[in-house]
Amino acid sequence: MNRLTGKFDNLDEWLNDLRSRPEIMNNVTHWETIPAREAVYAPLPRGLHPKLEAALRAKGIDRLYSHQASAFEAVLAGRNIVTVTPTASGKTLCYNLPVLQALLEDNSVRALYLFPTKALAQDQVAELQQLADLMEADIKTHTYDGDTPPTVRQAIRNAGHIVVTNPDMLHAAILPHHTKWVKLFENVKYIVLDELHAYRGVFGSHVANVIRRLRRICRFYGSNPIFLCASATIDNPGEHAERLIGDKVQVIDNNGAPSGEKHFIFYNPPVVNQQLGIRRSSVLETQRLAAMLLRQGVQTIVFARSRVRVEILLTYLQDAVKQLPGGKQIRGYRGGYLPKQRREIERGLRNGEILGVVSTNALELGIDIGQLQACVINGYPGTIASTWQQSGRAGRRHGTAVTFLVASSNPLDQYVIQNPEFFLNRPPERALIHPDNLLILIDHVKCAAYELPFEKGETFGGEKLEDMLEFLVEEQVLHRVKDRWYWMAQSFPANNISLRSAAQENFVIIDITNGSRVIGEVDRFSAPTLIHEEAIYIHEGVQYQVEKLDYPEKKAYVREVSVDYFTDANMAVELKVLHVDREKESGGIVRQYGEVMVNARPTIFKKIRLRTHENIGSGPIHLPEEELHTSGYWFSFSEEAAARLGTNAMQSALLGIANVLIHIAPLYLMCDPFDIRVYPQVKSVHMKRPTIYFYDRYPGGIGLSERLFELHDELLERARQLIRGCTCLSGCPACVGPIEEVGLLGKSQALQLLEETAVGAP
Amino acid sequence: MSSLRERMNRLRGSAGAQPGGGGASPNGTGGGQPECRQPDAAGAVPAPEAGDLRHADSVSPALDPAWTALGVTRLVNEAGECLVRRVDYPLDHRHGFHRLDELDECAHALAALCSGGNGPAPAPEAERILFLDLETTGLGVGAGNVPFMTGIGYVEGDRFVIEQTLIRHPAEERAMLEELRVKLAERPYLATYNGRTFDWPLLKGRFIMNGFGRSAAAEPWHLDFLHPSRSIWRNTLASLRLSHVEEERLGIVRSGDVPGSMAPAIYFRFLQDEDPEPLGGVFRHNELDMLSLACLAIRFGRLLSGGLGRHVPLPEEDEELLRTGLWLDRMGCAEEAEALFERLAGRETAGPWCLPLAARDKKCGNWRRAVLLWQKAALAAERQGWASGEAHIELSMYYEHRAKDYKQALRYASAALELAARRASLGRFDAKKRAEQDAIRRRIERLTKKAGRIEA
Repeated sequence: MNRLTGKFDNLDEWLNDLRSRPEIMNNVTHWETIPAREAVYAPLPRGLHPKLEAALRAKGIDRLYSHQASAFEAVLAGRNIVTVTPTASGKTLCYNLPVLQALLEDNSVRALYLFPTKALAQDQVAELQQLADLMEADIKTHTYDGDTPPTVRQAIRNAGHIVVTNPDMLHAAILPHHTKWVKLFENVKYIVLDELHAYRGVFGSHVANVIRRLRRICRFYGSNPIFLCASATIDNPGEHAERLIGDKVQVIDNNGAPSGEKHFIFYNPPVVNQQLGIRRSSVLETQRLAAMLLRQGVQTIVFARSRVRVEILLTYLQDAVKQLPGGKQIRGYRGGYLPKQRREIERGLRNGEILGVVSTNALELGIDIGQLQACVINGYPGTIASTWQQSGRAGRRHGTAVTFLVASSNPLDQYVIQNPEFFLNRPPERALIHPDNLLILIDHVKCAAYELPFEKGETFGGEKLEDMLEFLVEEQVLHRVKDRWYWMAQSFPANNISLRSAAQENFVIIDITNGSRVIGEVDRFSAPTLIHEEAIYIHEGVQYQVEKLDYPEKKAYVREVSVDYFTDANMAVELKVLHVDREKESGGIVRQYGEVMVNARPTIFKKIRLRTHENIGSGPIHLPEEELHTSGYWFSFSEEAAARLGTNAMQSALLGIANVLIHIAPLYLMCDPFDIRVYPQVKSVHMKRPTIYFYDRYPGGIGLSERLFELHDELLERARQLIRGCTCLSGCPACVGPIEEVGLLGKSQALQLLEETAVGAP
Repeated sequence: MSSLRERMNRLRGSAGAQPGGGGASPNGTGGGQPECRQPDAAGAVPAPEAGDLRHADSVSPALDPAWTALGVTRLVNEAGECLVRRVDYPLDHRHGFHRLDELDECAHALAALCSGGNGPAPAPEAERILFLDLETTGLGVGAGNVPFMTGIGYVEGDRFVIEQTLIRHPAEERAMLEELRVKLAERPYLATYNGRTFDWPLLKGRFIMNGFGRSAAAEPWHLDFLHPSRSIWRNTLASLRLSHVEEERLGIVRSGDVPGSMAPAIYFRFLQDEDPEPLGGVFRHNELDMLSLACLAIRFGRLLSGGLGRHVPLPEEDEELLRTGLWLDRMGCAEEAEALFERLAGRETAGPWCLPLAARDKKCGNWRRAVLLWQKAALAAERQGWASGEAHIELSMYYEHRAKDYKQALRYASAALELAARRASLGRFDAKKRAEQDAIRRRIERLTKKAGRIEA
């Protein structure tokens, strides 16, 4: 260490010093050292085109990693593949090699690349173009998206060998105009789907249907492309890929890429009030750790779970680390920043001008920001898969990297931080999609009919196609002639269908402090809680107060303010069961799965002081109620249990159990924590008993509740363990919730209720 | 399990979506079952025209009299069956200002207008032009937009023939396309109004969708009359819709016309109730479009073959005169264009046409007239208070760079600054105006130096 500057020579030295500092180590619940990994190589495949081989050698690639070789072999054997290896393991070569090989062999071949975002597509084209130039081959790679100028579109349609686009563009621009893309569809040999894990939930369910349409159009033109997929680590890559593309897929997971030594440090903020089980704020602890790293000049990425957290952390960090060496910067990054701003930040990270970045999971995807050295995760990201993804942002092929996981006080975080083996030994979550969600499916049947008339005997998804077609005939958008159904309406169906829920309905945020300018946007579902009137909206570290929310016009007018609080909103919920599809009983508990109707309305918001996080006021929110028809899963306790506990105790017990369950449910689902909601009812209208409901927060459901219905026993067992294992006296935010919420006896009542109904518990 | 319809209704209730996906509901009330098909009144139909065997079909049952009332017969070919309405006009028929037989005299001149096709177009003969206008079920050229009526027109012998094929349902599209394919093969010039970007790309897609393949129809030479219409009338007509252009410039008045935008709704209603009667309006609308297309061909053919002032009246407005001249100039009719330009240049007073014409003259090196026009415009600007110093700047540039008369150049630049200041006092003073003034000041500075150097 340099005594004058307090700086260490390298990260290893700093980590060694850290081990000797009790004020940090006392909070470390686990320090996992993942040893460096040697590379596993395979020779360049025989039969590789000489030009391609030369280009690889020119790039310094004399051999392949084992997974790259396996992928090449499988594709050449005509199989669909999904490559599942960690960040920065050379995944792109797994699909680029077979594609380039095919193009060198036959210049009439075409390939279609799909990325979930435009930014990713642009990175990809640069890389492919570089390889093509090295090979001096006539291979034209183009992005085709909303930014492509109309003048070059025709050239791309006719002559582009590799067309790089996104599912939205495929859905709304390419498929409905397939007759202009004859060359592509007649000759398409490979379809590349990268970042497969991003296609889950509603978006994934839409994308699966877009791919059904794509395959249908390919069949029309006589092609039968092979799908080359790549995914971050998830539990079910094969199953997920197969559901997405509707065909058999071979999983390639024999990762051969090397990696440097990696330290994964579980950090739990110290308890400041034993009685109430209150810990120091995870935000402040995150800031402290990140500031230490940044002062050492270590390029660091900080992940926070919400946009608000990102902004708060950014403010704190910019405050704490005023002077960075060489005038380097700390920046924020999240959805809602404008694309130009984002590109600039990505560039700054790659060339090192930006030393620190605070981001939401927006940077989790494969956007090229180079490899950083350290990662501080504020709060468990909600899934094992995304934790590894975020952690993967720090770590180079050689050299040490460190990740801190800083737990917040919510039960899931506390469970993970205190049971690190659960996180370390468990496979990541499953990516769930529900392509047969009736609303989604019908939308795509419409689009498909627009593209090509349906014929009797065709299939499309899991519903009976003919029923859907007849329904659309009644709706007067299709016209049946004998055994064919034709689109017969003036509208262009893809226009009204967005693949990303609510994406079309973003609220724009307009700053009216000086004139008026758009500073960002918020999706429809977040709007009631983030930009209701009087809310404090933080953008790039600056506070704004919402003065007016024009709900019909989807605009929020904000003015810059300087206050010492932020805001947090509450929702009131009502739930009705419409139809029961499945029912099971175990351990005295009846559980059901079916269709539910939920009505939700934001009620009040609280003002919470910065840093101390105390509640300093509140106000009403006047916004319309939202009605949601979706799928749900629920279970009830027996009447005897209800009688034993009495209404009040049952209330706190249910609330406590619901609090625990909603926090651990995401352990089993790969979803945003807001995608699944919980709702306890002491005397359920439907069950006439104490009941806890879960529902998918998307019309028609996306398969989350159904999965929970299947996992019911394990879920309750996990909840029991968590409550029993918690060190607090009578309830804390880390288990059943704080005493103010569940009462003094809440914890024991919840536990009692669960123990009584224990099935197969030890 | 509830029925699909019930499930959809519940889900939609919660999603807040509109039923029908935004599609037009032609019968307004919606939701009803299609009415029963009217039984064909066999035997009540007069026999199809004799001598036109292709349109007759002795096997299929006779058409409903409602069809025959519209003049519609059955069309059968190897790709199937659809309906056709055939109307013809003697070539001495007058439609608005023009007579159809004029086409024969001037069609050759349309070569200048041709685009697309394979290589440069030889001079068209009237009989080799196919006029075309589609009525479609929607907008745009997406795969789900179906032409339900294809109107074509062509000269055959001493008649102008209009054939309108109609499909009773989408399965008849193949027959309609086959019919068109044959007609296209015989006539390599395709005359349309916006057909280059709409009708033709759409048809190419339809050929592919119906299994004719990419090479079903060779790329025609396009005579797309929207483009010259835009060149000539963009500043003088309120709209460039065909119906507006024909009324304002071709002397054609339609009465009781069904607007083209209504056609899809009428067709959807027909698909529901199978009553052909309202389609009559669409047939007539399309028929008039075909005649108007022929008249536009004559209009532009006349213009391109020296007919201005003889067969086509001189434009009344100077702006249209200018645009016509500029267009003729581009089309290679330099003499006709020059005559118009001279006419304009000879005007006593200046007009907004001065500057565009001067710009054209500057481009082709006709400095003499360019300077005259600028001077005229500059004078008008000073005297009549035009708020534009553009002519002054042009003159200043001319005197600086070509005539090397820096004093004159300086004089015009100073006058330009004065005008710019006057204009600034009128409206909002913005960055653009400031930049403009700054540029003039720099010019004055430079000229002052140059002028001074000469003096010294």
